[in-house]
Amino acid sequence: MENIQDYIESGILEQYALGELTAAEQADVESQAAHYPEVRAELAQVQAAFGFYAAAHAVAPPAGLRERVLINLMTQIAASALRADVDALAQANGPAAPRPAPSAATEAVVRPLASAPVAEAPARRSGWAMAASVALLLSLGGNALLYSRWKDASSDLVALQNDQAQFATTTRVVEQKLGDLRQENQVLRSDEFRPVALAGTKTAPTAHARVLFNAATHKVYVDVRSLPVLPAGKQYQLWALDKGKPVDAGVLTLATATGEGLQHMKDIASAQTFAMTVEPTGGSISPTLSTMTVMGNI
Amino acid sequence: MSDTPFISLPPAAEAELVRRLQARDESAMTLFYDKYSAALYGVIFRIVKAEDEAEDVLQEALVKIWNAFASYDPSKGRLFTWVLNICRNLSIDKIRSRQHRVGSRTQGLDDSLTAQRQAAPVSFRPEHIGLQEITQKLIPEQRRIIDLLYFEGFTQSEVAEELNLPLGTVKTRARTAIKVLSKLIR
Repeated sequence: MENIQDYIESGILEQYALGELTAAEQADVESQAAHYPEVRAELAQVQAAFGFYAAAHAVAPPAGLRERVLINLMTQIAASALRADVDALAQANGPAAPRPAPSAATEAVVRPLASAPVAEAPARRSGWAMAASVALLLSLGGNALLYSRWKDASSDLVALQNDQAQFATTTRVVEQKLGDLRQENQVLRSDEFRPVALAGTKTAPTAHARVLFNAATHKVYVDVRSLPVLPAGKQYQLWALDKGKPVDAGVLTLATATGEGLQHMKDIASAQTFAMTVEPTGGSISPTLSTMTVMGNI
Repeated sequence: MSDTPFISLPPAAEAELVRRLQARDESAMTLFYDKYSAALYGVIFRIVKAEDEAEDVLQEALVKIWNAFASYDPSKGRLFTWVLNICRNLSIDKIRSRQHRVGSRTQGLDDSLTAQRQAAPVSFRPEHIGLQEITQKLIPEQRRIIDLLYFEGFTQSEVAEELNLPLGTVKTRARTAIKVLSKLIR
């Protein structure tokens, strides 16, 4: 070659390392590398550099991948080895195959299965060996089938476990709801609770709610039938009026205000009237009377 | 050497592994997997950019490495170089057949490339010391060229087209980048 340096700098070694070259071009690079130590060294350097770059990007494969790919690989190796043996035996045993004495050819073909010479009784031995191979092949297939069934079964199990966990969560939620309902029911059925109907004021004539008040235990529950929807940042607040003086009985949650169920409010010692106003979220210290939505006397 | 990324086994261990594979010792594939899978998977994943496809390619590559092992010639290069090429070629075949199906490669190199870049793997964590060094030592244009060549399977001419540079410039930059990488190996 006239100029090794030009050759090296032509970029062909990089192309070789990246697999861009045709088989003929590859062979040419290899022969140059074999002849010229500079080319060989440069090529090794280029390959090492790409290898280094690749290795710097190493990523541990996801969990489980190792077992999957290795099992598949071993199955394929075993299957192809057996297939090769069976093919070889079938060929050696085939009716059309002439068997000129214990020839070297026959021996070579059969050798992969067992290294023992087959000259003695080739047909019988091969017959048994072939049967064994077929049995092994079948067993291998069976194993593969069992393996895939087992995999299916284990993924089914995971799915079932998920279902079960979901079911348990649902059950917990339902139980809690049931507890709430039971308590509500007790309140509703109790004679000690006096229902107080709250009717809509002229700002909301169709509004309608109820307060359940237990004068003995001072417990207060509110039960909304219909209240106007509030803008964001506003909340209904219940007030007890005791001798004309408003006492805070707590704010209504959104669920209560939309009529989902009873809400346990603050205890009230004594009251003659209950009323609801619209207040900023969190409630006010004293009622904004202009926003009074419902009210009712005991 | 301890803080550089995995390159290959020590020569003696590599020779022993090669000997066992040449002797068709199946259990050597497990050892092979444990030593090389992270590096190979990293390259495959960088190229195909999807976990399930990366697994398929790695599987295919292992079968090919086993079946074609007789064609590995240690005098022509390290085992790592050989297996890396197998994995890279299978991965590039994979994305080319995918691009061929979508027809995006010929229609818009830029589009497909941008799309691929955006689909950066979530689980990819470039925290290796070697990679940090590479990031520090390679200027961005060099790294981009190496990435296009190595991980996107571009030819040097395609890189020139993609980056709108003369082919000669691409070759020079690629060579400079390779020199920088070579220095980092030590």
